[in-house]
Amino acid sequence: MVQYNFKRIAVVPMAKDFIDVILSKTQRKTPTVVHKQYKIGRIRAFYMRKVKFTQSNFNEKLTSILSDFPKLEEIHPFYSDLMNVLYDRDHYKLALGQINTARHLIDNVAKDYVRLLKYGDSLYRCKQLKRAALGRMATIMKKQAQSLSYLEEVRQHLGRLPSIDPNTRTILITGFPNVGKSSFINKITRADVEVQPYAFTTKSLYVGHTDHKYLRWQFIDTPGILDHPLEERNTIEMQAITALAHLRAAVLYMMDPSEQCGYTLEAQQALFENIKPLFANKPLIVVANKADIWRDDLTPEKRAILEVMARDSVDETILEMSNKDDDDSVNRVKVTACDKLLQHRVEQKFQTKKTDSILNRIHVAEPAKRDTLERPPCIPVAALAKRQQKKQKALEGDDGENDEDENEDGMMVDGGRPTRNSTKKKSEREIELEMGDDYILDLNKKYLVKEDEKYDVIPEFINGHNLADYIDPDIMKKLEELEKEEEMRERAGYYGSDAESDDENVKEIHELAEKIRIKKKLMKNEQKLQGTKKSVLPRTTEPKKRERSVSRLKREFEDLGVDMEGTDDAHFARTRGRSGSRKPALKKARMDSEGRVRSSSRTPRDESGVRDPSMKKKLGKLQKKVQNQKFNQFGKSGEGDRHIATKMPKHLFSGKRGTGKTDRR
Amino acid sequence: MPQNEHIELHRKRHGRRLDYEEKTRKKAAREPKKRAATARKLRGLKAKIYNKRRFSEKVQLRKKIKAFEEKSTETTLDRPEDGALPAYLLDRQDKQTGKAIAAQVKQKQKDKAAKYNVPLPKVRMQSENEVFRPLKSGKRGKSWKRMVTKVTYVPDDFTRKPPKFERFIRPTGLRFKKAHVTHPELRTTFCLPIIGVKRNPSSTMYTSLGVITKGTIIEVNISDLGMVTAGGKIVWGKYAQVTNNPENDGCINAILLLSK
Repeated sequence: MVQYNFKRIAVVPMAKDFIDVILSKTQRKTPTVVHKQYKIGRIRAFYMRKVKFTQSNFNEKLTSILSDFPKLEEIHPFYSDLMNVLYDRDHYKLALGQINTARHLIDNVAKDYVRLLKYGDSLYRCKQLKRAALGRMATIMKKQAQSLSYLEEVRQHLGRLPSIDPNTRTILITGFPNVGKSSFINKITRADVEVQPYAFTTKSLYVGHTDHKYLRWQFIDTPGILDHPLEERNTIEMQAITALAHLRAAVLYMMDPSEQCGYTLEAQQALFENIKPLFANKPLIVVANKADIWRDDLTPEKRAILEVMARDSVDETILEMSNKDDDDSVNRVKVTACDKLLQHRVEQKFQTKKTDSILNRIHVAEPAKRDTLERPPCIPVAALAKRQQKKQKALEGDDGENDEDENEDGMMVDGGRPTRNSTKKKSEREIELEMGDDYILDLNKKYLVKEDEKYDVIPEFINGHNLADYIDPDIMKKLEELEKEEEMRERAGYYGSDAESDDENVKEIHELAEKIRIKKKLMKNEQKLQGTKKSVLPRTTEPKKRERSVSRLKREFEDLGVDMEGTDDAHFARTRGRSGSRKPALKKARMDSEGRVRSSSRTPRDESGVRDPSMKKKLGKLQKKVQNQKFNQFGKSGEGDRHIATKMPKHLFSGKRGTGKTDRR
Repeated sequence: MPQNEHIELHRKRHGRRLDYEEKTRKKAAREPKKRAATARKLRGLKAKIYNKRRFSEKVQLRKKIKAFEEKSTETTLDRPEDGALPAYLLDRQDKQTGKAIAAQVKQKQKDKAAKYNVPLPKVRMQSENEVFRPLKSGKRGKSWKRMVTKVTYVPDDFTRKPPKFERFIRPTGLRFKKAHVTHPELRTTFCLPIIGVKRNPSSTMYTSLGVITKGTIIEVNISDLGMVTAGGKIVWGKYAQVTNNPENDGCINAILLLSK
C-alpha cells in the first residue's frame, strides 16, 4: 500500500549552494597535493580522480532529487490531479526533465574530459583540463537554477499538504462559500480550520478525523465552489473539484436556506445541479445548515426548493443542522453520513469478486431429512418419574408450605441420607449475629484433624524451610517399622562384637598406619612451605651431592614403617653405571696444562689480553659493577625488552588519502 | 495535525513572539560586525571569493543609492533658465558633447580594425618539441614516429597509412569535429562543424596535419545560420579564428571572420 507522505523529500538546494556543496566535497575528499616532477601517469590519475569524483557526486545528488519527487503517473489520480492543479503538471514534468538532462550532460562532460586527460602531457595541461571540466559541470548546474528553486517550492508545499488517504472511509463536505463547512468540520473533528465570516476563508483542502462505531472516519473540508463552468474555475475551487472527482467518498452538500452566505437558495440549487455528475455512485447527503436562523420563518418557495433537492439525497430527506446551537443535529449529520457511507462501501464490496472467495469459506450446514420417522429425544423412565414428582411437590408446596413434608420427600429421593436442609450448618455470619459482641472468629475448628490437635501451634517456617514440605503423615508408622527391623537385626546377632580377636598383629598395623599418617601430613606441610610443585633451581644451588645411599634407604624405609632389621649385609640391587656399556674413546683428547683441549686454539674473549687470574678476577668485578649500573637499575624498560608500539599509528590511518593504495602511504 | 499554511494561521491567531521585533532589529544591527569578523577571519581562496562577492554587492548598493539620490535631486533642483547660464557652467555642456564625439570616434576605429584585422593578430609560435612527442617503434634505432599532442581536425575520409609509412599519429582522443563559433555582430555563439584547417600560423606542416592551436584559422560550416551572399546564394563555409588553447580547455572557441 502506497503511503502518501510527501514530507520525506530531501531539501533541494539552490543552484549556487548545490555547486558549492559538490565542489567543496571534491576538495575535501580527494588528494590535494601534486607536484610536477611526479610521473605523468600519477598526475593524470590525480586529476582524473577529481573529475570523476565530482561527476559521481553530481549524479548522486540529482538522482536522489529525481527519485524523491513523486511521479505523476505512479501516484493516486487524486494526488496527481491535485498536483496538476497546484503546481501545473507541465511545469513540474519539465523541471524534473531538465534535471534529468543536466545529469546526462554532466556525465558526458566528465567522460569527455577524462578522455582528454589521458593525453595530458604536463601538470599544467591536466590542471587546466580539470578546471575546465569542473567549470562546465558547474555551468550546467547554474543553468538549472530556476528548476531547482521551483522544485524546492513544490517540495515545501507538498510537505504541507494534508495527508489524505484516498482509499479509506472518507466524507467530503462541499457547497457554496461561507455556508458553514469549516464550522462543521471543526465541530466534529480536531482539524482546527480557520473560520471567518467572509467567502473563501478556506483556500485549500483540510482533513480531520473522527471516530464512529470504533472506526476512523476521514472528513475533508473543501474550499467553497461557485456556480460557473469548469474552465473558469480558479485553483482554489479546482482543489475541491479534484477531491470530488477522484475520492470514493460520501458527499455532504451544505446549503444555507437563510441565504446569509450571500447566495440565494436558487443559486445553491443551480450549483448542485451543475456538479451533480461528480456525485454519481456516491452516497449524497444534503444538509440545510444554519437552522437556528431559518427554522421559524421558511417561505414556501424555499421549502419547495428543498423538497426538490431532497429527492437526490439519501433517504430522500434533507438534514437540518445548526452549528451554532444544536450539537445534536451536528452529531446526527455525522452519524447519518458515516452510516450511509459504510452501507455503501459494504454494498460495493459485495459486488466485487473478492467477496465470493470470503463468502465461500463460510458454510452453514443444514442436513436434509432422511425419512419421515419421528425421532423424539429419549428420556429414561426414572427421570420422567422424578420430574413428575417434582412437579407434584411444587404443587403441594404451593398449597401448604410444610417443612416436614419436604424433608420426607428429600429422604425418599436421596435414599436414606439426610438432606442438607435438615442439618443445615450455621454460617459464621449467623453465629456472629447470634452471639453479638462475644463472637470471636475461629477458623481452627473446621480443620480436618483430630479434635485435640486442632489448636496446636504450627509454625509455617522453621530455619527458612517451609514446614509443609517436611510433614510426613506416616512418620509414626515408618518409625515403628524401623524399630521392628532393628530389633530383628539385634536378635539375629548382626551387631555381635569380635573385640576379643584383637591380637598383636592388628595393633602393629594400627601403629604403622598412624606413622604413615603422620609422615603424610609432614610431607604435605613441607610441600606447602615450598609453595610450588615445580622444582626450583636457584643460582645459588650447590651441585647435588650423592643422594642415594644404603643408609638413607634404610632410614627412610624405617621412617615409613618398613622393618629393615636383618638387612645389614643385604645387597640392595644396584644399577650398573653407564660407563660399563660405553666404549672406550678412540683416542684420548690431548689436554694442555690448563685442562683445555689443545685443538681449541683460540682464547676465550674474556681472557684474551688478560695478564693473570688476579687481573681476571678484578676485571670480573668491574664488569659486574658496570652491568649493575647500566642495566635495569630501576627496572626500567630497555631496548632488549619486548615492546609493541602503537598498533595503529595515527599517521598511517588518518588524514587525506593520496593516490597510492590503501596499505601503502 | 498541522496542514497547509499552519504557520501563517498561527501567526494570525496569536501574533509573533513578544520580542520578535527587537530581536530582528538587533540581528540586523549586528550584521555588519559579523560580516567584518568573517572577512577578517577568512584566509586564502575563500577570502578572495568572499571579497569579490562583497565588492560586487557594494557596487550594486552604491549604484542604488546614487540612483535614489539622483531621483531626489532631480525633483528638488531647479533647472537654471535658458540664456542665463553662469560662466562656470558654460563649458561643461561642451565637454559632454566632446566626450560623445570621442566615443564615436573610438567606436569607428574599432569597427575599422575589425574590418581589416584578425581578432588575434599575434600568435605564439608552437615549437615542434611542444607539438610532437616521440614515440618508440621497433626495438632498436631512433624513434622516428611522432604523436601529435595538440587538438587536431581529421576529415571523415581519412584512412591511416600502413604503420611503416605513418610518421605522425593523431590520437583519436584529441580529434575534434565541432567548434564553438561566436558571431561578433550577433554576439551569439553556435556549435558548428569544422570543415577544415585553413592555416596554422606556426607552420605549414601543422596546417597539413590539421593541428588546431590558438590563432589557427579554421573553416566552419555555417549553413545552419542561413547567411546569404550578395548574389543570393547561401554561404555554407566561413573562416573563423581560434581564440583559446583547445588542448587545455577541451573545446574549441573561435570568432567568425565576417569581412574579408
